Amino acid sequence: MPQPTQSFVRNCLLSVVDAEGYAAIAPHLEPVALPKGLVLIEGGTPFTHAHFFNTGIGSIVVSTADGRQVEAGLVGREGLSGFGSLLGADQCPQTTMVQIEGEGYRVAIEALRSACRRSRSLHETLLRFVHVFISQTSFTALSNVNQSIEGRLARWLLMCHDRVTGDDISLTHEFLAIMLAVQRPSVTTALHMIEGYGFIRARRGNITIVDRDALVEFADEMYGVPEAEYRRLIGPFG
Amino acid sequence: MSRFFLHQQIGTGIIEDPDGTELADLAAARSEAILAARQLLAATLLAGVAPLGTAFRISDDVGNVLLTIPFGDAVPDGFPASA
Repeated sequence: MPQPTQSFVRNCLLSVVDAEGYAAIAPHLEPVALPKGLVLIEGGTPFTHAHFFNTGIGSIVVSTADGRQVEAGLVGREGLSGFGSLLGADQCPQTTMVQIEGEGYRVAIEALRSACRRSRSLHETLLRFVHVFISQTSFTALSNVNQSIEGRLARWLLMCHDRVTGDDISLTHEFLAIMLAVQRPSVTTALHMIEGYGFIRARRGNITIVDRDALVEFADEMYGVPEAEYRRLIGPFG
Repeated sequence: MSRFFLHQQIGTGIIEDPDGTELADLAAARSEAILAARQLLAATLLAGVAPLGTAFRISDDVGNVLLTIPFGDAVPDGFPASA
């Protein structure tokens, strides 16, 4: 299998890891399309592959048997799915699915584990990402109990904006409602309000970020700490 | 299943529902509207501001208005206690 050259890889973890770490993982990277809706990790089912995103966004969702669900976190080119395998787990309760289509590399879990055994720098880089992801979900918890729906939506749009190219985010209100675990008209109303403030432009199935700085200010400290942690510990992002 | 749109009346204007939702029937759409009105009212109550909207207008996918649900229908009789 031809190996991707490190300088051309868009996944942030794979591009910042040192040459030895990259050499350990590169032979196992298999390019894959990540179409919208593709389930990368099925909750309660043994891990088979981890996915490094180059583009696109995945949602990590928790749900009950009767269908109540909320998004616990999201991941894009700054990370990978299936990272529970790096922590000694064989499966996890959360489901990870592609919410904005993209492409990336998949790697068999056993190959990922053995690459991490061969390269300590690779292992440590990936574990630092897990640390940042935990801070992201911690802020999601804080945001869920402290912020208005507009505030939560603002934070969420910023997190998506960090992970897409350009200013357009293609999402329906229905999808946003599922992610934020609110009734759909609450999303419509919240979008209407933050569009009224001039931060975004909302069209059917698409949201354009117009004034990112104002959106960051509006998100009121619920956005920014995990992102700063990533830059401090790993490298450029967003 | 049919697609229902929950447009929100705000004063003299309207917040359009661009996407709609697939639901079993009009009764299910009514339940959705009641739940949504409660969530919107609760959010404004917590923020200490007046609600933006006054009612949901439920329409089908060709724009016929099937039902109007005033936000007052979403709260129990006698709420708030001082009213």
